[in-house]
Amino acid sequence: MNSAVSAATQQPTDPRQITRPDRALMRYYLLVSLLTGPGFFLAILPLWFKYETLRYRFDDEGISISWGILFRREVHLTYRRIQDIHLTRNLLQRWMGLATVSVQTAAGSANPEGTIEGVLAADELRDFLYAKMRGVHEHAPEAAAPASGPAGTDGEPLELLREIRDALVEVARRREAKA
Amino acid sequence: MTSTLAGEHLERASRWIYDGVWGVLVRWFRVPKGPPVVPCLPGDELESFRPSAGFLRYLKLQYWLTLGVIGAPLAIGCIIALVLAPRVMIPLAPLILALMAVPAVAAYLAIHLRYDTTWYVMTGRSLRIRRGIWILHETTITFENVQNVEVNQGPLQRWFGIADVKIDTAGGGSPQPGAHGAAAGAGHRGLIEGVHNAPHIRDLILSRLRHSKSAGLGDEPHPAASALVGWSPAQVALLREIRDAARSLATHAAA
Repeated sequence: MNSAVSAATQQPTDPRQITRPDRALMRYYLLVSLLTGPGFFLAILPLWFKYETLRYRFDDEGISISWGILFRREVHLTYRRIQDIHLTRNLLQRWMGLATVSVQTAAGSANPEGTIEGVLAADELRDFLYAKMRGVHEHAPEAAAPASGPAGTDGEPLELLREIRDALVEVARRREAKA
Repeated sequence: MTSTLAGEHLERASRWIYDGVWGVLVRWFRVPKGPPVVPCLPGDELESFRPSAGFLRYLKLQYWLTLGVIGAPLAIGCIIALVLAPRVMIPLAPLILALMAVPAVAAYLAIHLRYDTTWYVMTGRSLRIRRGIWILHETTITFENVQNVEVNQGPLQRWFGIADVKIDTAGGGSPQPGAHGAAAGAGHRGLIEGVHNAPHIRDLILSRLRHSKSAGLGDEPHPAASALVGWSPAQVALLREIRDAARSLATHAAA
């Protein structure tokens, strides 16, 4: 447990600053490979490659995950399109302070589209993603609406209203001039 | 009198053992004991609940039925072997009994643990489901993303007054066949098992769903589009009439 605590200081708790999985992930992969017994060397190599090349980027709009040496893979997701978030911890992961955060979009597969492994502050990450998900905040669409006002794309109705105002102002002015 | 006393002792002993198992799970296997927390906006209600007590009875009935189906042939087989070869079987009997009893007790314990580790948390906007002991699985879904809600109730479940609520989000992919517990939670689905107020939960989610104007696919109501939609052709025509009236008023005022 001490190792997990000391490693916690290496990884920022703010999800936006996470770029690499924590070292605890490599220890976890090692244990998982050991559990396969004779398949150890077959199991550890791809996992080691994955650990070494795994990169995360959490920007304002979404998540980018990339890994691989021979076959490179990159996954890009936007927060707004997240359908559901899964947080999974098995016994080993709980002991090592790790978790798997899986993010699903509306793509047609049961397997999660984005899997984030090796994050120590998994609860914080999950809550961070949750806060950016659709449906968490009620007023997001309303907040976006006023921004379109100054753009001046309202077209004919606005023009008509302006003409009505001008005509009424004209009426009032002439009445005043008469009086 | 003695039988009730014995029953009391048995109950106390089983409670003691159960608490001990829980202690080990919490301390050594890091199973969280309380409900999961969902970050909640001010003014939003938070409701944590577990499956209803009927679900526990339902699981236990299933357990006894399974035990009968598997245990009865085994017991008959053992008795036949005991009659046919008493010399071999009598020394082996305690071992065989233990081999049969241990999985049965473990399965019974697992039912209670499964019941006690299943949590559902609902806010006004989202749902979080936690289940699992060895593999802890937490699913978070916002109601905005829900595509359909399903309530399932079998005859046995009706007897116990419980039902399952299934909540699907967009995206296909069937969960692995025969998946149970943690694995069934994966995919685009939230499963609220064994609750007594299934219609209430269904209505709550459906009311959220009907409020939502989007398709639940991550799309936003487009601001520019909604501004255009705001004026129908009839309204524009009416505005035109008002303008003309105002203009004629202006010319008459001049006259």
